[in-house]
Amino acid sequence: MSTRHNYLFNRLPIQQRLPILICSLLLVSIIAYGFANYYSLKKASLALGKERLNTIISELASSFSVSARAVIKTASATAAKKTVVECAKSNGSAYRQEATGELDKLYRDSTWVSEELVNKDFALILRSDKSIANPNLNLKDVISDAKIGPDSGKVGKIYSVKGAVYYPIISTVTDQKHIVGYIISWLILRNTPKTMEQFSQLIGIKADFYVKNNDGSLWTNLIVPLPNAPFKITGAHKIIEFESNDGKRMIAATQIVQHTDWAFVIAFSEHNMLTGVNDFVKWMLFIGIALLALGVLAAWYMSGSITKPLNQLMIAATNISQGNYSSPVPIDSQQTDEIGQLAVAFNTMMTQIYRMHHNLEIKVEERTAQLENVNTELEAFSYSVSHDLRTPLRAISGYAIMLKEDYEAELGAEGKRIIRNIISNAKMMGQLIDDLLSFSRLSKKELVRTHVDMQLLTENVINELVQPDMQSKYHFSTGALPPAEADPVMIKQVLLNLISNAIKYSSKRENPGIGIDAVVEEKRTVYYVKDNGAGFDMAYSDKLFGVFQRLHSQEEFEGSGVGLALVKRIIKKHNGDVWAEGLENGGATFYFSLPKV
Amino acid sequence: MSDDKIEILLVEDNPHDAELTIRSLRKVNLANKLIHVKDGAEALDFIFARGAFAHRKVENKPKVILLDIKMPKVDGIEVLRQIKSNESTKMIPVVIMTSSKEEQDIITSYNLGVNSYVVKPVDFEGFAKAVSELGFYWLMTNQAPE
Repeated sequence: MSTRHNYLFNRLPIQQRLPILICSLLLVSIIAYGFANYYSLKKASLALGKERLNTIISELASSFSVSARAVIKTASATAAKKTVVECAKSNGSAYRQEATGELDKLYRDSTWVSEELVNKDFALILRSDKSIANPNLNLKDVISDAKIGPDSGKVGKIYSVKGAVYYPIISTVTDQKHIVGYIISWLILRNTPKTMEQFSQLIGIKADFYVKNNDGSLWTNLIVPLPNAPFKITGAHKIIEFESNDGKRMIAATQIVQHTDWAFVIAFSEHNMLTGVNDFVKWMLFIGIALLALGVLAAWYMSGSITKPLNQLMIAATNISQGNYSSPVPIDSQQTDEIGQLAVAFNTMMTQIYRMHHNLEIKVEERTAQLENVNTELEAFSYSVSHDLRTPLRAISGYAIMLKEDYEAELGAEGKRIIRNIISNAKMMGQLIDDLLSFSRLSKKELVRTHVDMQLLTENVINELVQPDMQSKYHFSTGALPPAEADPVMIKQVLLNLISNAIKYSSKRENPGIGIDAVVEEKRTVYYVKDNGAGFDMAYSDKLFGVFQRLHSQEEFEGSGVGLALVKRIIKKHNGDVWAEGLENGGATFYFSLPKV
Repeated sequence: MSDDKIEILLVEDNPHDAELTIRSLRKVNLANKLIHVKDGAEALDFIFARGAFAHRKVENKPKVILLDIKMPKVDGIEVLRQIKSNESTKMIPVVIMTSSKEEQDIITSYNLGVNSYVVKPVDFEGFAKAVSELGFYWLMTNQAPE
């Protein structure tokens, strides 16, 4: 997968690769930096939040206990009044009116719902006339819950009554260190969600504020009693972390409030505490994107400044490859960097290539002209050979014949033999001239390649060469010969020369045999003609294919020494090879190869 | 021999070739009405009755002209061109007899309207045979327009 990506990346032009590289580098560093900062910030702000939570809850608890103490003090002062003590002692028969009057004075605001005087056996003696509501709780339970001693007071537990939260302020009525009764002031929590929100804002953070009984028996959010504890928290001044019912990460602290049976609880979500941090991340993201865009733009511009000269170089190089030397790379004199130097070097190189190319063309023209001259001379030469050598030869042969015809009687036997030799030599020289001419003409001839059925061609050549009287003497065998792409006229000449050679050199054998076959190789087909004739000494095999080179005397086997040279020239023209294997008096094999079809 | 009775005009600069040709034709009795000129200029003089041949009647055309190619002054190809481009002479059969097997000579000759192109065999026996056959063909077999 990664190699494929690499492949894709490398296929992009440099102009795009650099910005992508820079963009990814920037992205990685922005993400790494952002994450590192986010986590340390988060940690710091959580620690800060917890500390603040501690402070808030301590302050809240202590300020409430101060006011609780003040309220208790007032109630205790009332309880110490003689009329109240006497009323309690007399179980309401003495000073009843006065005591009621004292109790009436205790009301402070609308949360004071009832003032009661209770005897030492927890029976209600009297209730203030100004009482507006009555929680109707078992007074014995309420007072014993408070575990209160003589000459003291306390804010008691909170109670849930008909969906409202009540709590008592209890003061003992004491005479001679003995509890003779109790004053109970009933208060109701009258907060609304709105007041609680205002309170929460006062704290400075969006928090949930709870009051619970120290023994955990009841929780309230200061508006209504809560049927169940929203989470578990005990002890004093302790911070816990938990997950709320709706899955938020929360932090909470609790603090026991002195002079009461209460504990305060403040809880808030981690998310609220991290608002600042999240804002930071948002900014970070925005700045990151802006940086990224800037970086990509800068990289694009920079890579452009690199690739533009490269493109110019490329265009110039392409022009040169098409033979156009007239458009050098434009050089900016300000650009002295590597690319600028490259452009200068390139232009120098271009000039030199142009010069060399130009010189080469001139040389080629000169050589071509020389070659054409030589060719023309050669043609003139072969024309001369053809015409001028033949004419005197014909004269020699003609006059020798005339001599023989006209002066036969005077010549005698020896004279006639000499004339015969003159005539036969003239004939042979004529043959030599003809062979040499056809050999030199071959170099001028163009190859005309077509599909050649080698099998058919070989059979035709054999039929042409073998006279009826030879058929019984020679044994021919022809293998499967694959077709070739070649000049049929020339290849026929090759087969004619090789097979006629085989016939000639095996003619003195008892049972002359000639085989023609082929071997298919990877890139070529090798054809060969094999005979069981006179063969040759391998030491002289290099002379076989030379012009006028012969390994046998004229008396042994006639020949001009041009046939195999012609074979070699034809096969070379076909991009093939010729070679031979032989053994003196052990036959010979002549091979030639042609490109595979 | 009167120039007006000429049947064969032999144009040949080489005296030996000429001798061999005449001998071969004589052997078959075809050399009686033969004239031998030694170059192209002389040949044109004869054909168009000019110079040394001014007295000749131009209407008496030879039955065949045996023409060598390689000759001094005017070569055979030029002689052929003049004969074949002249209305009064273009009907005369012209046989090129040369030692040259050059493809170009053969093509040029045929383009100019040669009637036959013969490469002289090197050996005399073959040569004599070719010449006599030629003579027979053009003098005896071939029917020229009246």
